[in-house]
Amino acid sequence: MTEKTKKGLARVEEIYEDRSKRAIELKEQGKKIIGYLCIYPVIEMLTALDMVPFRIFGDIKEPITKADACLPTVVCPFLRSSLDLGLKGRYNFLEGTVMSHACEVCEKTAHIWKTYIEQKYTFFIDVPHTVHEAAQEHLKGLLEDFRKTLEAFTGKDLSNDKLTKAIKLHNEQRKLVREIYELRKPNPPLISGVETIKLIKSLMSVPVEEGNDILKDVLAELKNRKNAPQKKSIRLLLWGSIIDDASLIEIIENADANLVMDDTCVGTRPYFDDVKLTADPLEGLAYHYLVDIKCPRTFRESEYGETSKNYMKDLSSRFSYLSDYARDWKVDGIILHSLRFCDIHGYEVPAIRDFLDSKGIKSIYLEPDYTESALGPLRTRIEAFIETLG
Amino acid sequence: MTKSVIIDEEEGICSTVTGPTGAEHRHLANSVIEQAIRDADLSLDQIGYCVATGYGRMNVPFADSQITELTCHARGVAKLFPNARTAIDIGGQDAKGLKIQDGRLKDFVMNDKCAAGTGRFLEVLAETIGLNVKDLGDISLKSKKRIRISSICTIFAEQEIRAQISEGAAIEDIIAGLHESIAGRVVRMIKRLKIEPDVVITGGVAKNSGVIKALREHIGYDIFVPENPLLSGAYGAALLGREIYNKETSEKRDIRRGISLKEGVTFFK
Repeated sequence: MTEKTKKGLARVEEIYEDRSKRAIELKEQGKKIIGYLCIYPVIEMLTALDMVPFRIFGDIKEPITKADACLPTVVCPFLRSSLDLGLKGRYNFLEGTVMSHACEVCEKTAHIWKTYIEQKYTFFIDVPHTVHEAAQEHLKGLLEDFRKTLEAFTGKDLSNDKLTKAIKLHNEQRKLVREIYELRKPNPPLISGVETIKLIKSLMSVPVEEGNDILKDVLAELKNRKNAPQKKSIRLLLWGSIIDDASLIEIIENADANLVMDDTCVGTRPYFDDVKLTADPLEGLAYHYLVDIKCPRTFRESEYGETSKNYMKDLSSRFSYLSDYARDWKVDGIILHSLRFCDIHGYEVPAIRDFLDSKGIKSIYLEPDYTESALGPLRTRIEAFIETLG
Repeated sequence: MTKSVIIDEEEGICSTVTGPTGAEHRHLANSVIEQAIRDADLSLDQIGYCVATGYGRMNVPFADSQITELTCHARGVAKLFPNARTAIDIGGQDAKGLKIQDGRLKDFVMNDKCAAGTGRFLEVLAETIGLNVKDLGDISLKSKKRIRISSICTIFAEQEIRAQISEGAAIEDIIAGLHESIAGRVVRMIKRLKIEPDVVITGGVAKNSGVIKALREHIGYDIFVPENPLLSGAYGAALLGREIYNKETSEKRDIRRGISLKEGVTFFK
């Protein structure tokens, strides 16, 4: 056991800077570290068997040199980067991986990963793309299969009791994250956007109990902090594709704005709804991953079976949570971010803009590449957007 | 290009300077302001406030504040054309579309990822044909049957043009095709803003009558061109600077009067 002298935000910074360090330590102590790509693999089931879910990210600072041999260059650059790191051996400490049909490219990446990268365990969940009961039932069936492969791999029994216990631990994490987001409501917020993304990324790098301890320390630290973020003229919300590096958020916060809320998958998405505790825990999990998590990879319509067209009703059923966020976090404008070639978010943008326009909420659409050098030109757009809000 | 505009209390223009930017931004900023002051017959301490804008806005050591070129362009255009609702700015590095409301920037789109749809596209292709970019507009107006350039990419368009030249296509038809290509590309981008009249065009490409003709065909509205289309951003910056200065002084806040020139940073010793 290494010394963990740093606490709270200092510990977060430490994990953010070298996120595999702790995982490798745990591996040396005999823990199984299982990588997961995107937020659709049901990590509660890994925790239940005392394995460590470790989210696979890319690196915007690392040029993609190996992945182009197996993935086209005109697909999600985040997934290309993640696969590139995998091919370069950066994820060799993982015992195995769980991936999912989060989106089309995620499925292909999962298959290529399995083909080219040596691992002891691998499972693929073809998560359905609609929210209907039949789809939930289907996902539940897939999770049954997932359970069987995990039991075979670990030689342990994954009982409903163990699973319920794990769900409670993850729900506790969700509750603590929501408490952190409450501290972004004051003006100025008590935690910056940069600190928040680093915190969330850290949580996705360590066991859930350890993450919960970090969250408790950070909460205590924030409530008494003297060096709170500076108050800026504008409060912004960030919606969109994955952002797994603080640089983009830094550009926003170096301009005259506080980022106070997000709807992204290294942010609110995996944390804002609890998993319901059901007699069969897989039922609650299937519901949560399909219905609660609002990534545009899942198709939603205002009402299943409704055959007439009512665009405004459709928009409001799909996006009213965003205007609620904007109201509750007193947001002046929304940055819509769709990573280049991220089809699922790109398709959603015209509809979201129509919805936000109808609510009188100003927005800007950015479509950057997944490299550090692509961030420079964004600065002017972000600053000009802030100027239009002032 | 680096531009400088000095305005007086009545928002009248005292002097303007336009010159090539080069690599040494800070050094150049100093020499441009010195020349502008000389031309206006002013001294440095008579400058109340200075706003820097554009790509180099962080490299003007003596500026009091920085405002993006989008906001400045919108302000400048709105002052020059009070009925303007849409502005198109096509410069050497990027193309922008601006929506203007109540004299202010309301919304915008921009392309700064590649040369396609910018003045750079025309510069490169003028070179391919062996012409000066300044002459393209007039030559293209002679075209009877413009050629369709299907590539958006500057490099691919260059190959297409070479093929057309070798097949004996008339130069004016090729150039008209280039103008159509850039206009089409810019309009497709700006349509996201919902184009409303009056429409104003600024930036270096606004000096090209052929592009304006092609834009007009696409948009369906008349397009207004300022007397000096390169200066509307700098003029807008000056207008915004004056507003800030008046607001600060009316609120009796302490505002530094007079700018001082710090040593221009240089890497060419």
